[in-house]
Amino acid sequence: MKTLEIIFTDILYVSLLIHIVLMSVAFYRVWRGENVIDRLLGLDLLSTLTLAVLVLLSLINQRIIYLDIALGLAALGFVGMIALAKYVADEQMF
Amino acid sequence: MNLFLQVIAILAVVVGTLFSVVGVVGFIRLPDVYTRLHATGKVGVFGVVFLLVAAAFGEPLGWGRGLFLILLLVITGPATAHAIGSAANRIGLPRKGAERDDLVYTSKSKS
Repeated sequence: MKTLEIIFTDILYVSLLIHIVLMSVAFYRVWRGENVIDRLLGLDLLSTLTLAVLVLLSLINQRIIYLDIALGLAALGFVGMIALAKYVADEQMF
Repeated sequence: MNLFLQVIAILAVVVGTLFSVVGVVGFIRLPDVYTRLHATGKVGVFGVVFLLVAAAFGEPLGWGRGLFLILLLVITGPATAHAIGSAANRIGLPRKGAERDDLVYTSKSKS
């Protein structure tokens, strides 16, 4: 039983590292984006990867509060992304 | 019983991470915006959802929040992708290598 716990936490840390590397790659793409939609898309990807990191943290620290934070991030990120997409499409917000 | 849950959680984390990697590689490699939209959808819907399945199994108390977050992600993912896609189409981004461009007739040009 003990070994499985260790394996689980190791896998979680490896997954966390992979997600952080992916976030840096996505951020580089946002920095070097060809057009505004690419940058917008990269930011959307960044928020999703942050969500994944939060869920991983909730698993590593065995605390459920991180899932609530992820919930808030998902809801607000969605609203922000829709507003930004509408702003980009129509050049005016409302 | 606990052992069985741990194994499922481990598998779910591995699969979730693989989907995230595939999604980000797709985001980098794919030619134009619309295909990149397709790739980031993978990360958002499949990557995080499998991690949430692992969270639901890894933490016995958190399964309610996990399921609600899965529901939220599955609903907001396509909506966001659609909004970005229509924004890209309205500002007139080209579609690389499109055989037949169906949207040329419908998309009102920016006069």
